[in-house]
Amino acid sequence: MLHIRDLTAGYGAAPVLQGVNLHVDRGETVALLGPNGAGKSTLMAALTGTIRNRSGEVSFENHNLVFEASHAIVSRGVALVPEGRLVFPPFSVEDNLRLGAVRLKGRLQERYDFVYGLFPRLAERRRQAAGTLSGGEQQMLAIGRALMSNPRLLLLDEPFLGLAPKVVAEIRAALEKLRQTGLTLLMVEQKLDIALGFASRAYVLIKGRVALEEGTASLARRPDLRDLYFSLATAHNA
Amino acid sequence: MQDFLELAVSATASGCVYGLIALAYLLMIRPTGIINFAVGEWAMVAAFGGYVLLTQHELPYPLGMGIVLAFMLLVGWVTERIAVRPLVEKGAGVLAPILALLGVLVITREIISVSFPPDPLPVPFAVDIQYYKYFVIGITLAVFVAAWLFFEKTVWGRSFEAVALNRRAAALMGINLSRVTAFSFAGGAAVAGLGGLLVAPNISAHYLMGVPLAIQGFTALVIGGVGRVEGALLGGLLLAFAEQFTIRYAPIPGGFAQGVPLLFLMIFLIMRPTGLLKARA
Ligand SMILES: Nc1ncnc2c1ncn2[C@@H]1O[C@H](COP(=O)(O)OP(=O)(O)OP(=O)(O)O)[C@@H](O)[C@H]1O
Ligand SMILES: [Mg+2]
Repeated sequence: MLHIRDLTAGYGAAPVLQGVNLHVDRGETVALLGPNGAGKSTLMAALTGTIRNRSGEVSFENHNLVFEASHAIVSRGVALVPEGRLVFPPFSVEDNLRLGAVRLKGRLQERYDFVYGLFPRLAERRRQAAGTLSGGEQQMLAIGRALMSNPRLLLLDEPFLGLAPKVVAEIRAALEKLRQTGLTLLMVEQKLDIALGFASRAYVLIKGRVALEEGTASLARRPDLRDLYFSLATAHNA
Repeated sequence: MQDFLELAVSATASGCVYGLIALAYLLMIRPTGIINFAVGEWAMVAAFGGYVLLTQHELPYPLGMGIVLAFMLLVGWVTERIAVRPLVEKGAGVLAPILALLGVLVITREIISVSFPPDPLPVPFAVDIQYYKYFVIGITLAVFVAAWLFFEKTVWGRSFEAVALNRRAAALMGINLSRVTAFSFAGGAAVAGLGGLLVAPNISAHYLMGVPLAIQGFTALVIGGVGRVEGALLGGLLLAFAEQFTIRYAPIPGGFAQGVPLLFLMIFLIMRPTGLLKARA
C-alpha cells in the first residue's frame, strides 16, 4: 500500500532524512521507533506534504506523493495525527471534527457517528472548546479529526505521549478497533512495550536512516532490547 | 444637541469606511500574517472605477458597483498570484511579500496617476446626499454581518480561521493553503474597494487618496485588534469619533487633523499592542 524508496527530506541545507526505505502493506500495523531527533516526525511531515524539500519516492496505492501538496495527499486517503495533537483550541469539538472532513465528499454524518461511536467522550463534549479538553481527550479529538477524512492509511506520531496509563489503555482499545476495521496504521512510538505489543512489524530510525526492520515478535525476544538504540547508533556511526 | 447628533452620524459613516479598510487588512493578515498596505490603493482604484462607470458612463449604481467589486476581486486574486505566491512558494517569510506589496502600491498609484487627469474627479452618491451616510452605514453593517457569519458558521470560514491558528494543522486537515491565501486577497481587495467606492462621493477620486485611507484603516485595525472581525468595525468607529470630535471641539488647526490617526496609532501600539478585542484564545 505504501512504499517509500530512498526518501530524502529536511528543513534547511542538510537533509534530516537521508534515503529512507520503508513499506507498509494493506491492513498492517507498523511501528516506527527511534531516539529523539532521529527524524520520525520529519518522516511524517514528508509523507503528508507539510515540508517542501523532499525527493525520492513515496508511492501510495501507486501514486507518487512526493510531488503532491498536503491537501491532495489527504484526498488520496492518508491522514496524520500529528505530534503534540495540534487541535484548534478555540473551536468546538464538533468544528474541529468538521475541519477534518474538508476533503470528504458527502457522508459527513456517517463519519461523525463513527468517531463519536469510537470516542463517546467526544460526543458528550461536542460543543466544548477543544482547548478546554484534557490531554487525553485532545488526543482522542486529534485521532477523531484525522478519521473524519475517512483515510485508508492512518499515521500516528507518538499518540500516547504524556498520557496517564488509563487513558493510554482507552486510546489503545480504540486503535485496536480501528485495526479490526481493516485500517492500515503506521505509528511512531518511542515506548518499546507499547510498540511491540501493538504492531506486527517495526522499523528503527537512527539519524535519518532505517537502521533495523524486524517483526515485533522476534524483536521482543532480543536480549539486548534495552540497549537497542544505543547499539544501533554505535553500529551506525562505525 | 442637533450638532452633536449630526456629528455622531457623520463620524459613524466615516468609521464604517475605516472599518471596511481595517477588515480588508484583517482578511489577509489572519490566514497569512501579511500586512498589505496596498489596501489604500485598492480603495483608490475602486473610486476611479466608480468615476469611470458611474460618472462617465452613467451606469445605474448597483450595476456599476457590482462591476467595480467584481473587478476588485480579480485585482486581489491577480496580486496574490504575482506578488505573494511566488515568494511564499520559495519559502520566504512574511516580510518579502509585505515589501513586494509596497511595490504594488507604488505601481498602482503611478498607473492611475498617468491614466487620469490630476484633479479630483467626481463620483456620484448612491442615494440622495442627505441619506447617503445611512446608506454607507447600512452597507457596512451588512458586510460585517456577512463576514461574521462566514467566519463563525461556514466550513470555509472555519478553514480560514484554522489557517490563522495553525498553518500546519490546517494543511493536515486537507485545507488548500494557497487557495485560502488567494481568496483572502480577492476578498480583501473587494472589501477595500467597497470602502473606496463608498467614501469617493465625499472626497472625490484622486490618485493620492490611498495612503491616508491605508493609515486610517491600519489604525482602526490596531485599535480593534486583529483577532476578530468585529474589532475592525469597533476600531474604525472609535477612530472616526476621536478624529471628528477632536477637529470639532479641540482648538487645533484643521491641517493637523490628519495627524490624529497617527497619534492614536502610536498611543495604541504602546498601550495595547494586541488591540481592544482579544482573539478567543
Ligand atoms: N521545523 C524544523 N526546522 C528545522 N529543523 C527541524 C524542524 N523540525 C525538526 N527539525 C530537526 O530535524 C531533526 C529531526 O527532528 P524530528 O522532529 O523529525 O525528530 P523525531 O524523531 O520526531 O524526534 P522526537 O522523538 O523528539 O519527536 C532534528 O535535528 C530537529 O532539530
Ligand atoms: Mg517527533
